[in-house]
Amino acid sequence: MGSRWLLLLLFSLTTSALLAQSPPPATPTEPTVQSLLNRIQQLENRIDQLEDRERKQETAQAGAAAAPTPAETTTQAAVTTPAPTQAPPTSHMEEHASMGEIRDTERRFPSLQIRGFGDVDFSATDQKGSVSGFNLGQFVLHLASPLSEKVSFFGEVSFTAQPTGYDLSVERTIIRYDYNDYFKLSFGKYHTPIGYWNAAFHHGAWLQTTIARPEMIKFGGTFIPTHFVGVEAEGNIPSGGLGLGYNVGLGNGRSSLLSKSGDSGDSNDNRAWVANVYARPARFYGLQVGASVYRDKLTPEPGQNFGEWITAADVVWTKEKPEFLAEYANVHHRDELTTNTWDSQAFYVQLAYRLPWQQSKWKPYYRYEYIHKPEDDPTLVNVLDLSGSTLGVRYDITNYAAFKGEYRNSRHGVNEPRVNGAFFQTAFTF
Amino acid sequence: MTTHWKFASRIFALSCLCLALVPLSAQRHDVDIAVVVHPDAPVSNLNLSDVRKVFLGDRQYWSTNIPVVLLIRAPVARERDVVLKIIYQMSESQFKQYWIAKIFRAEAATAPKVVYSNDMANQLVTAIPGAIAFIDSKDVKPGSKVVRVDGRLPGEAGYPLR
Repeated sequence: MGSRWLLLLLFSLTTSALLAQSPPPATPTEPTVQSLLNRIQQLENRIDQLEDRERKQETAQAGAAAAPTPAETTTQAAVTTPAPTQAPPTSHMEEHASMGEIRDTERRFPSLQIRGFGDVDFSATDQKGSVSGFNLGQFVLHLASPLSEKVSFFGEVSFTAQPTGYDLSVERTIIRYDYNDYFKLSFGKYHTPIGYWNAAFHHGAWLQTTIARPEMIKFGGTFIPTHFVGVEAEGNIPSGGLGLGYNVGLGNGRSSLLSKSGDSGDSNDNRAWVANVYARPARFYGLQVGASVYRDKLTPEPGQNFGEWITAADVVWTKEKPEFLAEYANVHHRDELTTNTWDSQAFYVQLAYRLPWQQSKWKPYYRYEYIHKPEDDPTLVNVLDLSGSTLGVRYDITNYAAFKGEYRNSRHGVNEPRVNGAFFQTAFTF
Repeated sequence: MTTHWKFASRIFALSCLCLALVPLSAQRHDVDIAVVVHPDAPVSNLNLSDVRKVFLGDRQYWSTNIPVVLLIRAPVARERDVVLKIIYQMSESQFKQYWIAKIFRAEAATAPKVVYSNDMANQLVTAIPGAIAFIDSKDVKPGSKVVRVDGRLPGEAGYPLR
């Protein structure tokens, strides 16, 4: 009987002591995580012991086979032995292990990394004559390869489904030389640094929150030149906590087909240039504010020349709680023959929020976008006025794949009826 | 009776073990995370925003000839949790997505290198020029170059990385 009372007393003492000492915000998962950490530590120690044993055996065998020459011994000591004042003396075995790890993490040149992006889409709208159904999005391969400590190559190719096959296109091909953080020079074809989205999200729908890019910067569109062939300098601007940076480019600009860049050569003797300045203030981590200017001369047909000025501004908050993206652009065209001018405007505002529940997999979003173009602008023939809303949600199935579902309500053109549509996409990277 | 006493003594021993582990666990969560750099890196004091800039890949060179080499512990390590929470302010999946986008946006050539233990971090940070790592301040090897963050060293009041 007495022992039962003693047991009860001990139990109550123990639980009360534990409750008194445990930290208040403890979560139910902490003991599990702690035990996992301890287990990992034990396993790491065990691996170290086994590796040491293996190395001892190897050294014993090597020693029996051939003694090292004095030169070899000296070289090894010079590389691996730390200065006595910097670290406690380490054994030869530890030095050997260290060199192995260093070799494993050494940068090798070239070292090609390839990442693929793909998406499968479904769409249905109430627009007259439209057909609902599935379609394959772009199949995209991104390539990155450091060629030396200061020279890197980046490439991007896309395969786009067409009724008669697939279109293969080189979307970006860039060789970049890094002098330092303030000056990096690249040559090739890149996404024109006008505004935020075009240079932040590339071909690969998984990278962006929504199913599609805003209409003003859609691939294949003509409102803003999305690609640029030439030379670009970029870097940080010494500005302390303001976090200023810049991009300046000189290149071919638009080809005679205005939706394309001049990959195979310029359409005239005039070079296009672009300048972009942005700030990422240290005090507001996640905030970026930028402004861009683009200048080109368009020659859609021989004898037809238009001056083009694009001015743009953007404000983004890149954290996902919330995510806020807003861009505005004005495109000014001037006919060099008649001196007639046209100004077209476009903007979008996108708001998203990564919900904290269910491992933060859900991200609802909303975007409003607007385009206005003078009806008689002879250059932006394929651009229609637009006023549209997109309401959707993204669900990240894993770290590398997502489902997206959207409802869109938009009006394309003047006095046209509004169109409702449902869009679904699964986008992934591999 | 003897059986009961045996049982009671086992409970008592278990209770003592639990009581001993609780303060150990609490201590582990209080340990500061040191920012350690290669001895040749020309830096000794960084603001938290500078550390963030370095680890976000926005600052990629200590000087013209010394590129920054980022070392970060593998998932589950406490050092990584602290870095993700305080420096990146991202979840594990956001961190992965951030670096995929960063590399293929052509803004960085490589992602941070993953290290699997503090021993490995200690060895690599002293061996690779330009390397920077986060190491549990208790595991930092003597003689390593520990950077002040916001003017404070690990263990000092107001040190931001813990």
